[in-house]
This record gives sequence, structure tokens and C-alpha cells, in this order.
Amino acid sequence: MTAAYYLLPILFTCFGMLLFFSKHPLYDDFVTGAREGIESAVKLIPTLILLLCTVSFFGASGASEWLTSLLAPLCEQIGLPSELLPLLILRPLSGSAANALAADLFESAGPDSFIGQTASVIMGSSDTLLYIAAVYFGAVGIKKSRHALPVAFAVMLFCIFFSCLLCRVML
Amino acid sequence: MLSRIIGVICVLSMLFTFLTGGGAAASEAILTGAERAVSIVLTLAPAMALWCGIMQVFRRVGLLEYLSRLLSPLITLCFPTAAKTGVGREELTACITANLLGIGNAATPLAIQAMKAMKSAHPDTDTASDDMITLVVLNTSSFSIMPTTVIALRSACNSADPFSILLPVWCASLVCSVMAVTLCRLCAPLTRKRDIP
Repeated sequence: MTAAYYLLPILFTCFGMLLFFSKHPLYDDFVTGAREGIESAVKLIPTLILLLCTVSFFGASGASEWLTSLLAPLCEQIGLPSELLPLLILRPLSGSAANALAADLFESAGPDSFIGQTASVIMGSSDTLLYIAAVYFGAVGIKKSRHALPVAFAVMLFCIFFSCLLCRVML
Repeated sequence: MLSRIIGVICVLSMLFTFLTGGGAAASEAILTGAERAVSIVLTLAPAMALWCGIMQVFRRVGLLEYLSRLLSPLITLCFPTAAKTGVGREELTACITANLLGIGNAATPLAIQAMKAMKSAHPDTDTASDDMITLVVLNTSSFSIMPTTVIALRSACNSADPFSILLPVWCASLVCSVMAVTLCRLCAPLTRKRDIP
């Protein structure tokens, strides 16, 4: 499995060999591409400032704890450990907060417990929804996102429950 | 849509800040958020530069063209407009390949490249096209083969077998990706306006 970590070095070596052997002006191509990359990264700053201010406001307000206590009985009913709820609430909003919560769960419940493994599967099979939507659409100036967010939320919700179900069945 | 979500989150947060009396913590959090935005861009920028540069080179030597022919059934299925017109097809292929291989920090730069390519077909509109939406939804249900962050976290917390979650993660990712594409294609005609293909 650690073979996966060799992918990037191998890919980069292929790239280096291309630079060495090719007759195209590849060095200049790289520089042009990299400059574009930096420019699009810098253009993302305003979008991200708005998003992250909102998300960290939400994190500090205690609304997440309230949602957790509100939804906990419902979750226990369908067999979802309520310890996972804060993770489920923050997963679409903030990548770093979700990582911190997962680390907490690994500490308290153990990474190989049912809770720990379910948390891992949820983390591995979903991503920071709002961040991705803001960054992707923000980078090209899209304001009307049509059905993107409702569908993305629906898929994420389904994905979370499906992950729990899989953990119950497979692990 | 995003602005409405941000509005709702703000009002909700304000309400709870009043209730819990955490005004000081909240004002600090908002400012920290702005700082974090800049530091995220700072960590993103090198990866963006590296991958956009490498992609430019791969495109020049025809590697992307070759890859996109290899993956063309998948592209046709997920991104019908791009597959038909060819606009953004190579960028989408690169993005999907990076995700499949699990080169995590390449996903965002390459996806942004793909978004730009697709946008270039309709430079004047601020409405998302079907394929753009599919790309966003597909990426939110992350379909990576190697969920490196979680595995690193698990080994850091002394898991007996950090890789034990791989099989369920693959199953969940696969099912969710299929569902993402299906839902996107089903919903696309419902929200489509005349000027968007």
C-alpha cells in the first residue's frame, strides 16, 4: 500500500525526463502554467475570506453543540452513534475542524473501534462541500450554481449514512 | 445559493453567540477565519503552481490527449457536453486521473483548470453549466483511491491497522460517485435555462 506514496516522485521524474529529452520549449511551458496557477490561487483569497470567516463564526458560536443535542435522539434511533454528530455537522463546512474532530474521536474511542472506523470512512469518502463549491465556482466567477449545492448535500447525506451502514456490515 | 447559505449560517451563529454570551470569542473567530483564508491560499499556491505547470508540459507533449482518449468512456458518461465539444475534456481527464491516483493536492488545482476551460466556452455568463456542477458534486463526494489524510491520522493515533478502512471507503466512494453523476444528470434538465447548453 505504501507504493501509492511513490506515485508523485515517479510522476515528477517522468516530467524531468520529458524536460531533458523533448525538443519542445517545455521549460517555458512549465513557467507559464505555474504562473497561471499562482494567479488563480491569489484570486481565490476574497472568496475564501468570506467563507472561512462565516465558518469559524459558526464554530465559535456554539450552534454546532446545539444541533448535536437536537439531533442526538434521532441518530440513536437509526443506530448512528451520537458521538459522530459533531463530525457530520462540520464535515461539509470546514476541513480542518473535521480533521480535529476525527483526531479527537480516535483519541477517545480508539481508531479501531466502530466509532473510529465509521469516522474514518466518513472522512475518506466525503469532502469539504462548501469549500469546494466556493473555490471551484469562485475561481471562474460563477454566481448561479443551479442544482449544485442541493445535489451535493443530498449526495453527502446519503454518503454518510451509507458509510455507517457499510461499517456495520463490513467491519 | 452560496450567499444564502452564508447568510443563514451567520444569523444562526449570531443567535447562539447572544444566547451563550460568547461575543468576544466570536469576534476573535471571525478575524481568525480571515487569517486562515490567507494561510490556506499560501499552502494551496505552491501546489497550484506545480500542478498547473506540470499539466501545461503534459499537454504539450500530447500525454493529456492520450489519457483523455483512454478515459473517454468515463468522460462521456459524466461530462456529456465536454465530451461532445472537446472543450475542457483534457483538463477533466487530468483532474479525474489525479483523483483516481490519489494525488491529493493536485485535485484542487486541476479541477480549477478544468472549471476555467469549461467556462471559456461561455465567458459571459455567471450561471454554472451542467458539467461544472457534475465536477463540483463529484469532488465533494471525493473518489480518491488513497485517502491519505485519514490514514495518516489513523497511524498517528496508533491504529492497529490504519489501512483497514480502505475497502469500505472504496465502496462508499464508488456508490456515492455513481449517485452524484446520476443525480446531477437527472437534475440538470430541471434547472436548465435557455442560454445554457
